Amino acid sequence: MDFTFDEDQRLAAQSLRELLNDHCQGSDLRRAADVRDLPSFEAACATRRARLAELGLTGALVPAEQGGLGLGVVDFVLLAEEAGRAALPEPLVDVEGVAHPLLAALVLAAPSARAESGLQETLAGSALVLSTAPGTAVLANAAFAQYLLLGHSDDELALYLASDISLTHRDSIDPLRRLSEIVPSGAKPIAKVTGAAAASAWQAARARSTVLNAAQLLGLGARMLEITVAYSLERKQFGKAIGSNQAVKHSLADVMVKLEFARPVVYAAAATFAPMRVAHAAVAAADAADRAARAAIQVHGAMGYSWEVDLQFYAKRAWALAGLNGGRSAQFSAVHQSALRGELEAQWA
Amino acid sequence: MTIDLQYTPKHHALRTEARAWLEANVPREPLPSYDTAQGFEAHRLWEAKLHSGRWSMVTWPQEYGGRGLDLIEWLIFEEEYYRVDAPARVNQNGVFLFGPTLMEYGTAEQKSRFLPRLASGADIWAQVWSEPQAGSDLAALRATAIHDGDEYIINGHKIWSTRAVYADWGFGLFRTDGFSERHRGLSYVVVPLRTPGVTIRGIPQLDGESGFAEIFFKNVRVPVANRIGDEGQGWSIAMATAGFERGLMLRSPARFQRAAQRLIELYRRAEQQTAPIDPGVAATVTQCWMDAEAYALSTYMTASRLIAGGTIGAEASLNKIFWSELDLSMHRAALAILGARAELRGRGGGESGAPAKIPDEATRWMDGFLFSLAGPIYAGANEIQRNIIAERVLGMPKG
Repeated sequence: MDFTFDEDQRLAAQSLRELLNDHCQGSDLRRAADVRDLPSFEAACATRRARLAELGLTGALVPAEQGGLGLGVVDFVLLAEEAGRAALPEPLVDVEGVAHPLLAALVLAAPSARAESGLQETLAGSALVLSTAPGTAVLANAAFAQYLLLGHSDDELALYLASDISLTHRDSIDPLRRLSEIVPSGAKPIAKVTGAAAASAWQAARARSTVLNAAQLLGLGARMLEITVAYSLERKQFGKAIGSNQAVKHSLADVMVKLEFARPVVYAAAATFAPMRVAHAAVAAADAADRAARAAIQVHGAMGYSWEVDLQFYAKRAWALAGLNGGRSAQFSAVHQSALRGELEAQWA
Repeated sequence: MTIDLQYTPKHHALRTEARAWLEANVPREPLPSYDTAQGFEAHRLWEAKLHSGRWSMVTWPQEYGGRGLDLIEWLIFEEEYYRVDAPARVNQNGVFLFGPTLMEYGTAEQKSRFLPRLASGADIWAQVWSEPQAGSDLAALRATAIHDGDEYIINGHKIWSTRAVYADWGFGLFRTDGFSERHRGLSYVVVPLRTPGVTIRGIPQLDGESGFAEIFFKNVRVPVANRIGDEGQGWSIAMATAGFERGLMLRSPARFQRAAQRLIELYRRAEQQTAPIDPGVAATVTQCWMDAEAYALSTYMTASRLIAGGTIGAEASLNKIFWSELDLSMHRAALAILGARAELRGRGGGESGAPAKIPDEATRWMDGFLFSLAGPIYAGANEIQRNIIAERVLGMPKG
């Protein structure tokens, strides 16, 4: 029993934070948010993408036997938190936390030359793979991917060349999420797994996505709190910083309480992967980030309702992520069912 | 090594040993409230019983009658303790506040004088902090302990002193010089409560029992050897005590996990027996379960960090807010489920000599609800905790 991260895990998160401090500040986000067309967007993100590629996280969760780093979700959770903190536009979490290990699972379950070579390309960094679980029609950053993992139902896990799939651009409220609607068509997958193997691969992918999005929400909440505290010190009314008023202090202290008690839940979910912990993590992180966004906008006053303030990037990302993987409502119901059915003791082995 | 949430074989062995002892020794019927004379003595006997099994002070070093358990092991013991609904700890203030303070700041003589009697329940300790004009603003306190030869002469008026109606000793802060202001000139002094010059008047709480008291000191003489730490060092020692209190040990997570489990049981029975339950209440029950789990996970995380050499700082204030609001929320949900039964008092007693009767389930929830209303107030009101978080953690300016 030791509920602490190790040195390697902390250092990895620290180096990602330093990189993002240099390349993913509000001004960097704004440059990307202000352009509409894809090439300009990619140009605005090019430096950061190159730096991220140098970080050596490619294939982080792909098993070592398959050429990856063989890390677990628990090794990635602090990285996801950093990605959230920065409202990172790049799909680091969706690729390395979710789609890349899913591709590796497909290759393992149904070895084929084409799937193998796809995995080699993605591990080499020359191609990008993304996935969207059955039942979800919209995928962020699909326009940048060369490979897509899709399924008509949980019984099917299929690898497609992105160029074979018809994508329709959709605007997101988050100007940094480039969404695509995946239009069903007659495209043929280049590799496919069916039945129980597909179902368990999708289940694992959903759980990873849920936990890592929860971690991003923690990071987003913490960043909004930080930005808001700074603003409350700077903004003066009645001759003093608004942050010296107890109404403001208590509101932000409550945000911190929510965040700090969501944090161990998210970490425990990453470490144990127990379904109930995963669902709990999704709810706790979504609620904490929501509270942070609400308080942050309120404390910013009219500025908080303006396009001009960077706060919007973090709030909008939080709102978008909170709705994924069934959303807060479905996750809450899952906890509710388990808790009331007495599945309590099993959580503490 | 990454995060590891599995218990070790040593942990399992401790759990097994604690469970066996508790199952064999916990009173079959709940004890009467320790806020009654009879209940207080029954709880004192339970402290002695715990001590006989070396379970009264598990985190204390072995030389003082403890087991030298670390915080994770303490959490395991607490889980077993609440699992069997063992009696509340009448000497809680001594075990978790005064004892650790004495171990850190007391002399060898003071430790051997006080710790063994504390451990066995021979002395039950009360806190003597607040005064009528010094509550949240504790540094406004006025009670004095003036040096006179080998003694202090104590005068003043303390209030809201939990357990003081029946307790043997009190620990608190007094002004040891006549002129200093605020947190200067304060000393940490222990005072026998059954001694000439001390008048104790119980204050009935919301439940009608005198769980706290006001204390009048009139020229009470205590030896200088009753001062813990140096003269004038009282404030910093008291802050350390407050750190223990709001920190990990005042409210162990097992207490809330057990209450959440009882709440779920209540909900499930009601679901089968009565009219449909408001979905809002059902959602609250689930939220309570989640929050009790979150508090447990958070405590395991903090305990792991402390074992690895970290210190507890502002988490203490975060914890205090979180568990006190959780406790309130759980009890409110229970009352909502109980409906018209909630107001019924299912506890008799009262005739002289008759045993105090055991509260039924509805009464237990109502009593718990009343006590949960005190949670956001005692050990530093939650408003003060929010100020601490804002000013000391978030770096916001004082108002």
